[in-house]
Amino acid sequence: MSITRITAFLKTWEGLLAVILAVILALNVALAPEFLSVQNQINLFQLSIEKIIVALVMTFIIISAEIDLSVASVMGLSACLFGVLATGGMPGALAILLCLLMGAAAGAFNAFWIAYLRIPSLVVTLAMLIMFRGLARVLLEDRGLSNFPEWFNALGRDAVIGPLPLALVVFLIMLVILWIVLHRTGFGRQVFVIGNNAEVARYSGVRVARIRTALFIMSGVVAAMAGLFYAARLASVRGDAATGFELDIITMVLLGGVSVFGGRGSMLGVLLSILIVLNLRNGMSLLNITGHIQTGIIGLLLIGSVLVPNLLQDFQARSAKQARKA
Amino acid sequence: MLKLKTVVKLGCVAALASTLMAGAAFADAVKAAPGGTANLVLLPKFLGILPFDQANRGAEEAHKELGNKGTLQYIGPTPENSVAGQIEMLTTATTQKQNVVMLSNNAGDQIAAAAEAAQAAGTKVVTWDSPIPSGKGESVFVAQVDFGSIGVVLADMALSEAGGAGEIAILSATPDAANQNAWIEAMKKALSTDAKYKDLKLVDVVYGDDQSEKSYNAALALVDKHKDLKVIVAPTTVGIAAASKAMQDEKLCDKVKISGLGLPAEMVSYTMNGCAPEFALWSFVDLGYLTYYTSYLLATGGIKGEIGEEFEAGRMGKFKIEEDPGRKGAKRVLMGPFTVYNKDNVEAASK
Repeated sequence: MSITRITAFLKTWEGLLAVILAVILALNVALAPEFLSVQNQINLFQLSIEKIIVALVMTFIIISAEIDLSVASVMGLSACLFGVLATGGMPGALAILLCLLMGAAAGAFNAFWIAYLRIPSLVVTLAMLIMFRGLARVLLEDRGLSNFPEWFNALGRDAVIGPLPLALVVFLIMLVILWIVLHRTGFGRQVFVIGNNAEVARYSGVRVARIRTALFIMSGVVAAMAGLFYAARLASVRGDAATGFELDIITMVLLGGVSVFGGRGSMLGVLLSILIVLNLRNGMSLLNITGHIQTGIIGLLLIGSVLVPNLLQDFQARSAKQARKA
Repeated sequence: MLKLKTVVKLGCVAALASTLMAGAAFADAVKAAPGGTANLVLLPKFLGILPFDQANRGAEEAHKELGNKGTLQYIGPTPENSVAGQIEMLTTATTQKQNVVMLSNNAGDQIAAAAEAAQAAGTKVVTWDSPIPSGKGESVFVAQVDFGSIGVVLADMALSEAGGAGEIAILSATPDAANQNAWIEAMKKALSTDAKYKDLKLVDVVYGDDQSEKSYNAALALVDKHKDLKVIVAPTTVGIAAASKAMQDEKLCDKVKISGLGLPAEMVSYTMNGCAPEFALWSFVDLGYLTYYTSYLLATGGIKGEIGEEFEAGRMGKFKIEEDPGRKGAKRVLMGPFTVYNKDNVEAASK
């Protein structure tokens, strides 16, 4: 890469994220001796693995100018459904299949209102956030369930390839596939086109409703899968499993430079943003920084990430204006 | 009221007697060797409420007393992120190769996998205040009081505040708080087995998640829902204060009394104005102190954490590791006893 290309990259959003990530990594290495250990690197991903898996699909949804607020509730419902089925004596594999089907159905249900009845996804998925969480609570009430089959708990705990647990392997595979789909296929291009202007997309022959349906079903299935990983990792579930995760997930996607109005964003940005949030949290934990301060610092980072580009744009526009005047 | 006092007095005498008797049997109790090195982490359910800060004060007192060359960290998650935060912090402590994590568990059995991983990597997990329900991954639980006897005291206070008969309801912390759940079970058991409670009717159990506003609203909802409610029993310091304030604000104190477990400093005004005539608690400072001694001894090899082991915990005297009667296969160190507060003693204790 030539110098000019590097400086051009650094001026992009992804470039800025890369610099922030480099600073955080350097601080972590310098201040926390345990940071680079293999186990810590695995834990760093594993502690948030369900969120980052769902964030990959959320990237598609937000680029298409929609939002799916129901993901965490689908995760919770899937985890609870598995708990009820598995402890009720159903074979684990069948229970897993049913949970994934439930996720697909939940996604299709979302899509029906959004893609065919044209109700804004913000409203639809907000309602579903409440409904699916309600179902999870109805299933479990105030109980917690554990005593899942040992092989299922092992899925959430044991390494399958080298030091990598299954969920992390799935994340990496999904990252590669979805990266290619978003940036190198017709489907991915159509997602961007819809996000830029759904009407124009429709008139140019893009089957908007179909693609939206596919995206929301994908979101439901992946959220259900993530819920199963959550149940396996904690080896137990309760009705409030994964509550509030949707905000963390959306936060990672937006920090990654995906436009909340759709049509803009990249997998690279989201990956960098995921790494920033995870490494920042991990580093602060290793330095024994307590929960409230962690939340505050991540909040500051987010406010900064929204303000800085806007201020920069403003500044550039003003200096351009002055240059014209002069 | 008199009856209750007698019961408590008898209980104290019994506890004293058993301590004395046990003292005789504790001839070869292990004494902690000061100046060792043990890196300890005190991990409460979350930060920001008084009892956990008091426990930390007790731990710091023991830390100084023992001249520990290692470190004592006091870290915790935010209340909204308690479950995920506790799991994350326990995992991080394992990575840091801390010797012992002292955990007041708010994650039910969801933290068991992380606790087992910690033990496998050499980080011991000593629970206090609230144990791991299944006991998995837990070295020993430092119990503030016998969980069964707490149930009886809660039932007795409700009985006296209700004037012997009527509807009562429970306002608890989170649905997965192992300590509160165990006390509620013990209270239900007392209510159903002892004939003196036959006119008390437990009509509801609700949760305020140890958040003031949520608990406040939950208390008001209880009153709206149950027109004949006489007593709200809140076995949590956040819940009892919030419920008392709710009744005071709505001028309902003549109709509905509050009882449960509270801190004298937070409850003194409600006890004096009659909204919460009686409540109970133990010392969280002592609980932190004893937990520290137990953990230090485990980390420095003074004790192994096996049933029957006896040890000395500084100013608090001698203790023994025993089977936990409430959790099969789990071990506990029993602190006890607790104090019942009313208008005669609450002012002195609140200072």
